[in-house]
Amino acid sequence: MAHQLDNTHEPVEGRAPLILGGHDFKSLTGKVAEPLERKTPLGWWLCFLPSVAMLSVLGIAVAWLFWEGVGIWGLNNPVGWGWAIVNFVFWVGIGHAGTLISAILFLFRQKWRTSINRSAEAMTIFAVMCALIFPGIHVGRVWVAYWMFPLPNQMAMWPNFRSPLIWDVFAVSTYATVSLLFWYVGLIPDLATIRDRATSRLKKIIYGLFALGWRASTRHWQHYERAYLILAALATPLVLSVHSIVSMDFAASQLPGWHTTIFPPYFVAGAIFSGFAMVVTLMVICRKAFKMEAILTLRHFENMAKIIMVTGMMVGYAYAIEFFIAAYSGNPYEQFVFINRAFGPYAWAYWIMVGCNVLSPQIFWFKRFRTNLKVLFVMSIFVNIGMWFERFVIVVTSLHRDFLPSSWDYYSPTFWDVLTLIGSFGLFFTMFCLFARFLPMVAMAEVKTVLPGADPHGDGPKAVIQGAD
Amino acid sequence: MSHGPRIVDAAQMDLPAGSLWRRLPLFSAIAAIVGIGASFAMRAGDEKQFYFSWLVAFLYFMSLGLGALLFVLIQYATKTGWGIVVRRLAENTAAGLIVMVLAFIPVYIGLDKMYAWTDEAHLDEIVRGKMWFLGAENYIVFGVLYFAVWIFLAWWFRAGSVKQDLTGDHDLTRRRIVVAGPAIVLVALTLTFASFHWAMSLDPHWYSTIFGVYYFAGSFVCVFAFLSLVVLGLRRAGALEGFVTVEHRHDLGKLLFAFVVFWAYIGFSQFFLIWYANIPEETEWYLERMHHGWQPVTIFLAVGHFGLPFLYLMSRHIKRNKLTLGLGAAWMLFMHFVDLHWVVMPAHHGKEFGVTLLDVTTMLGVGGLFLTAFGFCLTRAKLVPAKDPRLIESITFENF
Repeated sequence: MAHQLDNTHEPVEGRAPLILGGHDFKSLTGKVAEPLERKTPLGWWLCFLPSVAMLSVLGIAVAWLFWEGVGIWGLNNPVGWGWAIVNFVFWVGIGHAGTLISAILFLFRQKWRTSINRSAEAMTIFAVMCALIFPGIHVGRVWVAYWMFPLPNQMAMWPNFRSPLIWDVFAVSTYATVSLLFWYVGLIPDLATIRDRATSRLKKIIYGLFALGWRASTRHWQHYERAYLILAALATPLVLSVHSIVSMDFAASQLPGWHTTIFPPYFVAGAIFSGFAMVVTLMVICRKAFKMEAILTLRHFENMAKIIMVTGMMVGYAYAIEFFIAAYSGNPYEQFVFINRAFGPYAWAYWIMVGCNVLSPQIFWFKRFRTNLKVLFVMSIFVNIGMWFERFVIVVTSLHRDFLPSSWDYYSPTFWDVLTLIGSFGLFFTMFCLFARFLPMVAMAEVKTVLPGADPHGDGPKAVIQGAD
Repeated sequence: MSHGPRIVDAAQMDLPAGSLWRRLPLFSAIAAIVGIGASFAMRAGDEKQFYFSWLVAFLYFMSLGLGALLFVLIQYATKTGWGIVVRRLAENTAAGLIVMVLAFIPVYIGLDKMYAWTDEAHLDEIVRGKMWFLGAENYIVFGVLYFAVWIFLAWWFRAGSVKQDLTGDHDLTRRRIVVAGPAIVLVALTLTFASFHWAMSLDPHWYSTIFGVYYFAGSFVCVFAFLSLVVLGLRRAGALEGFVTVEHRHDLGKLLFAFVVFWAYIGFSQFFLIWYANIPEETEWYLERMHHGWQPVTIFLAVGHFGLPFLYLMSRHIKRNKLTLGLGAAWMLFMHFVDLHWVVMPAHHGKEFGVTLLDVTTMLGVGGLFLTAFGFCLTRAKLVPAKDPRLIESITFENF
């Protein structure tokens, strides 16, 4: 069985199948829709309840924060941005894989995206939700958080449009909107399938409402494909713009270690890197839980491992070039920051970052590791630890050594910082559990297009070179 | 739509007898001799101008060769299907890197005319502190190292591909898939440091971490524009019929469009962060380019290298029509020259922009040299990898 499910060997003469297990259209629909139609399994509760418990931790941490103020966090004088901004950038980064898979890989005709795009896009939306919490609760006076938006008001008071922080508000909210739309448009044919299979009246009505009257006529499909392509084209620049603007929160300043021109593409590469790692973490679990070995095949995981390795090396390239240019610049402040990062009081964090992000993904040069799900699962956690530390290193090391040595300090998080981070994971997993229970995990309609049955002239060469020796 | 397999004629993989393309090496060699001869003849008049013009031409054709080399490597690493029919042309373009080592000699001879850091007696403390990377010895040692990597890869990847035309051995493809990954890493690093040595250090005080990515972005614009034109030219000469179809031209156009946007993204990131932070060490580079005679060039670059082609190449019809794709590609080849001229020349005359005859003759000369190698390779092998295992997949690929 295990042997039959291995499609990681792709002969140079052809293409390995993407979907295994001899699936046809009908069996595929059954496989994906079935988990939504059976009684809630015990395993789901075992995931959902701890997630909700963690979510309530977020509630407690945020409630205490609102009551007491940001003083409960570990912020001190030079380090005015602590875990809140680290967590924000971390979660926005996670939220990049979904749109990359659904938009950029779509434009690059990467058909393997069809098995993972649905859950990756869902994950994207949940990650962006987690990210949006942090700037909201970091403002101190949360009751005026709406001042972040340019709302006309009698005081004629506007946000500072020259601040990258306000661009963030626009960039992330645009991204959230387009990602949600993209995800929803992709869901419509599948929602209609669930509606048509529904056995209870209530389910029929609810799924029917969201399916927007989809009847799968040729005209519907034509509109759908057109809309999908346009949304992909619109979402592609967003994959780059969001994290570019997040990087400008730092890079537009004059602070050594923050102000460097490579930040925008470097942050985008890092975001895709961490996003794919999170997709791997979730998909390894889902594959097992839903017994989807034939749909989420080893080849899908191998491809994700390759993307993780490539983007990990892009991040490594940025680390190296930053170091090189700091040495080359002749600017003593630049040089101090980078030496301090690698050998100063936060050296431990720096080397966790380098170890997880640059060194450990190098094992993916070997196919043995790319196709081993245990290794992939552990690596995906490593990568996300590394990427969290990357943001920690950037934020804290550049701040804790002020230009004025008398204000130097060491930043440590408090108990409440830790609880808030754990709580944000609670929100993320709660949403993902709900998604896995009530919506089709795999884009059935899209996967069907990569099945052999979708190709009417299946076998035989499509062209013959005449006169070749 | 017909249902039987499409029949393509194997003779289309060769240049037709009597085609002008067969004389490309000869014409290019003449252009090289004329261009280089005229440039050297004018050298005495304005030695500094000669070297700066030469450097622009050198960087231009290096970027074309490097872009082609990376395109070949990425095709192997990603097991590309669609692009097999244009891969041989890219391999031939990358082979141009082999002769570019000759064009590197005048660059090295003219170091002290171009790079302020060569004047060791008058260096300030900061630039003196950079001599572990700069300096004539480093320049030549690193230069030889860069060329060694590129020449080896350009030769090895093409040689195996050409050998496969005869033997049909699929192991040649397998081996190249394995080597392509590490090779991309090597080329990415060498390209970056070469751009630091050759272009960024013209202003030895200035630094930008994104500079290597900027040079890479331009090189990909250049190579997709060049390949589009070559494909169109070969089809006009009656070759590649049935092999390179409108679908492949459409894809080349899409990639050209994508890298026009990517170039703008990288260029804007660099400009914007420096402008916004307003740190004197960094702004000097843009200050030169935003005042006096260079200001119109900067605006022209933004509009001509991004604004216009962005709107123009967005349309599917324009990318699929031979004439309009050709116009767009030719325009981008020109704008890439403007880009490199804009990067290099302010180091020569900071205040005024001007084009001299030397800018034309050096482009003709170095370009002739590059195209001699390209043409030589083009005429000595099939135009497509004839026995590549994925050739049929590539021929029959369609955009949806």
